[in-house]
Amino acid sequence: MKKLIAGVDIGNSSTEVAIAQIEDNHAVFLSQHLVKTTGIKGTIDNVKGIRFALQEAAKKAGISLKDIETIRLNDAVPVIGDLAMDLISETIITESSMIGHNPDTPGGAGMGIGITVIIDQLTAIENKEQEYIVVIPKEFDYEWAAHRINKAEQDGIIITGAIVQKDDGVLIHNRLTKEIPIVDEVSLIEKVPLGKLAAIEVALPGYVIRTLSNPYGLSTVFNLDPDQTKQIALVAKALVGNRSAVVIRTPQGEVVERKIEAGRVILKGTNKQQLEVSINDGAESIMSTYEKLGVLQDVRGETGTNVGGMFNGLRYDLAQLTGQAAEEIMISDFLAVDAVIPTSISGAMAGELSMESGVALASMVKTDKVPVQRVASLLEEEIGVAVEIGGIEADMAIRGALTTPGTRKPLVILDMGGGSTDAALMSESSKITSIHLAGAGDMVTMLINSELALDNKELAEKIKKNPLGKVLSLFHMQLEDGTILFSKTPFPPHTFGKVLIREENDLTPLPNKLSMEKVRDIRRSAKRRVFVTNSLRALKRVVPTGNLKHLSFVVMLGGSALDFEIPQMITEELGRFGIVAGFANIRGTEGPRNAVATGLILSSVGKEVVQ
Amino acid sequence: MTTPTFYIDMKITEEGNAQKGSNPREVMVVLGPAYGKELNKTIVKVDHASVLREILSGIEEQGAVPRVIRSLRTADLAFMAHGAAQLSGSGISIGLQSRGTVVIHQRDLDPLSNLELFPQSPVITLEMYRQIGQNAAKYALGESPNPVLVVNDAMTRPKYQAIAALLYLKECQSLVPNQKPIELKVEFSITE
Repeated sequence: MKKLIAGVDIGNSSTEVAIAQIEDNHAVFLSQHLVKTTGIKGTIDNVKGIRFALQEAAKKAGISLKDIETIRLNDAVPVIGDLAMDLISETIITESSMIGHNPDTPGGAGMGIGITVIIDQLTAIENKEQEYIVVIPKEFDYEWAAHRINKAEQDGIIITGAIVQKDDGVLIHNRLTKEIPIVDEVSLIEKVPLGKLAAIEVALPGYVIRTLSNPYGLSTVFNLDPDQTKQIALVAKALVGNRSAVVIRTPQGEVVERKIEAGRVILKGTNKQQLEVSINDGAESIMSTYEKLGVLQDVRGETGTNVGGMFNGLRYDLAQLTGQAAEEIMISDFLAVDAVIPTSISGAMAGELSMESGVALASMVKTDKVPVQRVASLLEEEIGVAVEIGGIEADMAIRGALTTPGTRKPLVILDMGGGSTDAALMSESSKITSIHLAGAGDMVTMLINSELALDNKELAEKIKKNPLGKVLSLFHMQLEDGTILFSKTPFPPHTFGKVLIREENDLTPLPNKLSMEKVRDIRRSAKRRVFVTNSLRALKRVVPTGNLKHLSFVVMLGGSALDFEIPQMITEELGRFGIVAGFANIRGTEGPRNAVATGLILSSVGKEVVQ
Repeated sequence: MTTPTFYIDMKITEEGNAQKGSNPREVMVVLGPAYGKELNKTIVKVDHASVLREILSGIEEQGAVPRVIRSLRTADLAFMAHGAAQLSGSGISIGLQSRGTVVIHQRDLDPLSNLELFPQSPVITLEMYRQIGQNAAKYALGESPNPVLVVNDAMTRPKYQAIAALLYLKECQSLVPNQKPIELKVEFSITE
């Protein structure tokens, strides 16, 4: 007896189908297809996507949809995740006292110390014992300014440096009789206090400033006592790595690194057990507190603080998604990751950025049973084929994963998707334990987006998925590992000299200021922070003994297992525990895709595959 | 703080036929036949001296070396600039017509192709002329800058098209058939 069965897996981001012909308890797979999930997982909006995927798969198999006898749908796991991110520290300059930035073309080089004076007051200077630093707002033309400085120089006024608002540094420098360092493109020049002692430093191209970025250099320049040096150390820190800088000493001036009242995270466990941890302690200590607690029932943030806001925002989002009241939402898992967020310094004069520390949170709630039944009945109505709901998702995924050549029970699967990382263990007696953790591909995208200050989710997604290259000439491209690729066809002109994302059929150039090394570092560290952390966390939970050394086979599934570097990172990490870890090859042909759909079909016959 | 009042005077001296440059940092600026001579203001009545000075300042600020020539056998922007690019040491040139239209050109491109074109002369500001100079210098030094942002005003066409045509005709009256480009020495003097 022959019959046709279709398996349908609705995931957070993609819907996968497989069609097989069942013959005497043997399944012969005919075709499979993958589409983007329409609507939120488990809602009736999914039907549109499922129908389309089924039609495509049927076309590939050369059959008609009507020939299918049964469609088996997975019982989607009732968990939904969400993401949030916020700062925990901030640098504020009160009484503006420093400018440290990298204009493309500052003028001159060297170091100068003097009293700030505006350019049109130069001729009125009486005290010729002093040394001066000239401030030149944009109303003054460079030719005129240079002329004035030269004239003042002739009159015996000693000028040691200049601060310029427009991009005129080189122009002024080229017209001066005496070389002085010039910092230009200081956009908020009106904030520069006049009549105060200031120091200016410009480094040669390719070098960075040395004196002003050294706390003791600053203390020498301004004759500071140890207490004052301690206070000004933050200025030095903020100037590290710049090519030019100005520091102006005002009596009250100080730079403070303010720790935002980021608040405390309150973790609630079983038996009314409750632990608290300050979010300022960083992600690592939050996660270790979580580990101490063991089973998590809910998380709250201290009200009226940043973290309170973050958790409330998550709760609110999740309530909207699930249609439950916000108070009923219990966060069943979360992942905290340290993040670096470029933020503009408040009180800065040239739009300086500072890399502030922050925390990114992914959280997950268990909802009421997802109404898959509604999806099933609607689907049945629309295409006129019997639809039944198959077993638990983890169970199906393991059955599918076991079709990977070279695997056997006991087996652990690690399903890395867009919204969550799931793990399940099948023991030798076919008993299954499973776990769902917050934090996966979408969190990596969020980290890349914010740490590179892209403000463009699609671009961040592309950076996540593809390696980089840099076009050196018409035919040469340097790859991430330093090797040079020679292309048979010339690269398109808009990619010249740029770092770009090497997609399969397309090259997307990145904004000019990002270097290949920096983007690669951030991409890899974001993946490591999310996926390596989460896979260890997940495996520890499913192993009955809690000891990773007692595992032997780990199979990676899901969209993120298709990534070009995540599986290697995890294989490397788990290799230290003697675990064989790699991404699945479902039915020996499908790679890490289609596990659940395959499992759904196999579970209906209870037998192995026939290719 | 009082803004000083000053005037910029431009003095252009012709120095014979222009030769091919050999300095790789050189950016060639080519002026229209009447620029700063028979005509001395752009289409929006901005002084030619200020416009040219901003372009030259932009080139100098980025560390390139500006050189100025005048085209006499053609007043067509694309051909002026393409011809100048052949004489430029770096292969980069800027074409500038009397009405204010600008293009950045490169010697290996086709005449009607270019690096950056600014066709709506009425909307180009002095700041943009400075940026155009800076970008040309960056191309010459082998960088790949982001193109200068251009504003688009749909009304410039109906408002200025006739004037633009007249200005071009006027510029064409200064043409000298078969005359090679002339090297120019441009000096600015500033008086308070």
